[in-house]
Amino acid sequence: MSSPALPHDAGDAPQTRGPTRTPAFEKRLAQRYRAERNFRRIGLGAVVFSVAVLVFLLGNMLMNGVAGFQRAELAVTIDFAQSGVTGDPVSLAAPSAVQTLEMQGLPDVVTFFAEEQLGKDAAAEIAPEGWRDVAAALTADPDLITRSQTFYLPTTSALAGALQGEGPAELRALAQKLSDQGKLGRNWDWGFLARSDATSPQSVGIWGALKGSMLTMLVTLVLAFPIGVLSALYLEEYAPRGRWTDIIEVSISNLAAVPSIIFGLLGLSVFLALFPNLRSAPLIGGMTLALMTMPVIVISGRNAIKAVPPSIRDGALAIGASPVQVVFHHVLPLALPGMLTGTIIGMARALGETAPLLLIGMRIFVATPPEGFASPATVLPMQIFLWSDEIDRGFVERTSAAIIVLLVFLLTMNGLAIYLRNKFEKRW
Amino acid sequence: MTVIHPKMTDQSAKIRAQDVCVYYGDKKAIDHVSIDISPNYVTAFIGPSGCGKSTFLRCFNRMNDTIGAAKVTGLIELDGEDIHGSRMDVVQLRARVGMVFQKPNPFPKSIYENIAYGPRIHGLAEKKADLDVVVERSLTRAGLWDEVKDRLEDSGTALSGGQQQRLCIARAIAVDPEVILMDEPASALDPIATAKIEELIDELSGRYAIVIVTHSMQQAARVSQRTAFFHLGKMVEYGPTSEIFTNPIEERTKDYITGRYG
Repeated sequence: MSSPALPHDAGDAPQTRGPTRTPAFEKRLAQRYRAERNFRRIGLGAVVFSVAVLVFLLGNMLMNGVAGFQRAELAVTIDFAQSGVTGDPVSLAAPSAVQTLEMQGLPDVVTFFAEEQLGKDAAAEIAPEGWRDVAAALTADPDLITRSQTFYLPTTSALAGALQGEGPAELRALAQKLSDQGKLGRNWDWGFLARSDATSPQSVGIWGALKGSMLTMLVTLVLAFPIGVLSALYLEEYAPRGRWTDIIEVSISNLAAVPSIIFGLLGLSVFLALFPNLRSAPLIGGMTLALMTMPVIVISGRNAIKAVPPSIRDGALAIGASPVQVVFHHVLPLALPGMLTGTIIGMARALGETAPLLLIGMRIFVATPPEGFASPATVLPMQIFLWSDEIDRGFVERTSAAIIVLLVFLLTMNGLAIYLRNKFEKRW
Repeated sequence: MTVIHPKMTDQSAKIRAQDVCVYYGDKKAIDHVSIDISPNYVTAFIGPSGCGKSTFLRCFNRMNDTIGAAKVTGLIELDGEDIHGSRMDVVQLRARVGMVFQKPNPFPKSIYENIAYGPRIHGLAEKKADLDVVVERSLTRAGLWDEVKDRLEDSGTALSGGQQQRLCIARAIAVDPEVILMDEPASALDPIATAKIEELIDELSGRYAIVIVTHSMQQAARVSQRTAFFHLGKMVEYGPTSEIFTNPIEERTKDYITGRYG
């Protein structure tokens, strides 16, 4: 057999070397390896860049956020025995205890001791609502009424700014003096995680928004997950192939791409029209976000169901399992990990959503955490948006702290879902 | 026209198919096939790839129902009962006619659960003790018990290919079927595993009517007593295995078994 005429054959010289041993081939080989190396470098560069951006973002947030978890506080020692405030364990345990204490003049008592210990100027810089911390301590421990105790009360934001070297000179001098005396300082403010929104950055807290987010997410999950999973199962396993199925498929894909604010309009015109007195409620917010999350779950669920090998279905059918048994005993358990991945993505998107919630009135000032699914609430991203809009400088750090809380919530939620996914994951 | 060897006419039939046609959309995959399957023998379907032998096998437990485009016409009877009739439930039919597939397809569950699944969904064994008995008996019959008795809780997918296929056979016999359909059960296995499966088919043949599809003529010759040769959707010749391989009547059968095409 004669050797085939290859394009790189040099003249009529007999082929002593195989076609893969020519210099031209070796050159191409070197080129191939070069392309390989270049691609690896570019890929590594992309990863390094995104990691760097993430580190910068998180680092920046963490630096600011740490300050957001602290607040400027003034030390005031209150001797209740001399204060004229009275109370017994029963009345202090009553729900109206704080009002009772207010009527007995607790705010004035706090001001009196503060003026005595810190001077008139400094006492005026205690936050107007500062006495509530004292009231809270009293209701928590009624025995305090007979003793004396040192409280760390929040300052006004003006003094808090002065402590960090901002604002008028005389206030800065006062802050310096108090700080030197050890009566003014920035302390860890764990109450930030327990309080709700307020007018002063010194006394705001994130709990109201956090609880609002939790309630809203719960409604979203309870609605979107079962409906999404059942829709995916029906469409994949039962729906007859045809024009209507195609139309539904395309509609669901489009729904997943609809800008979120449109869902807000839907929530406004449908849900709020049906339940007008549930304005700003987590129930309506959750329903609106569920509309948004559902298509994501349906799409990922269908892909997960498609990935279940048909041989498993055949095996189950062949020993006489009914279609419902095949779906619930075999297909669903195998598709669940993939469905959970879709749910993570959908829920994470819903958690960070503000636009649709703006329209259904969740942009509100919530001074007390929502009591239930029907009471007015706001959510974490909305709280971040509201605080970032404030003029007071103190809110900058509080905003960063709120972002950290949001991210931690997100990580917890995703961590839980990933844990569940790995638990259910099976190989075949 | 189908040639049926003379000795075949007097045998009793576990499954009787008459004028069965299968269509995939417009394509006719099986063209007027009539056959009687004996309860006492292993029946082999042989033929070149794409001749429709697997499609025909899947008619017997109505697995073609799961393919939307497939349409089956003609009459198929199991013990004289029309399997498409209103008195026949498909779930019940599949409990009576078990199936083993080309690729081993154990459920991604434990070995025990693989076997116990069928009896459990059919309510054949309610108590754990009863299930234990069924599991042990099925695995013993499938020749797998000694290999897996100490690791019944391990995943069925962790077994070797040959063991997986025997697990699938055990799963099929756990519901005590009357017929076992095998669709090229050894084609994905190595020669040793194949030999074990063939041995197993031999052992099971008295207890169940077995229909096996194979593309290996040697396998058909080794395990079966009846052989049907299919070509282009038609059954060309049906007779005792020894006759088909030594003394075929049709020219096409002769060509196929002598390796002229296939």
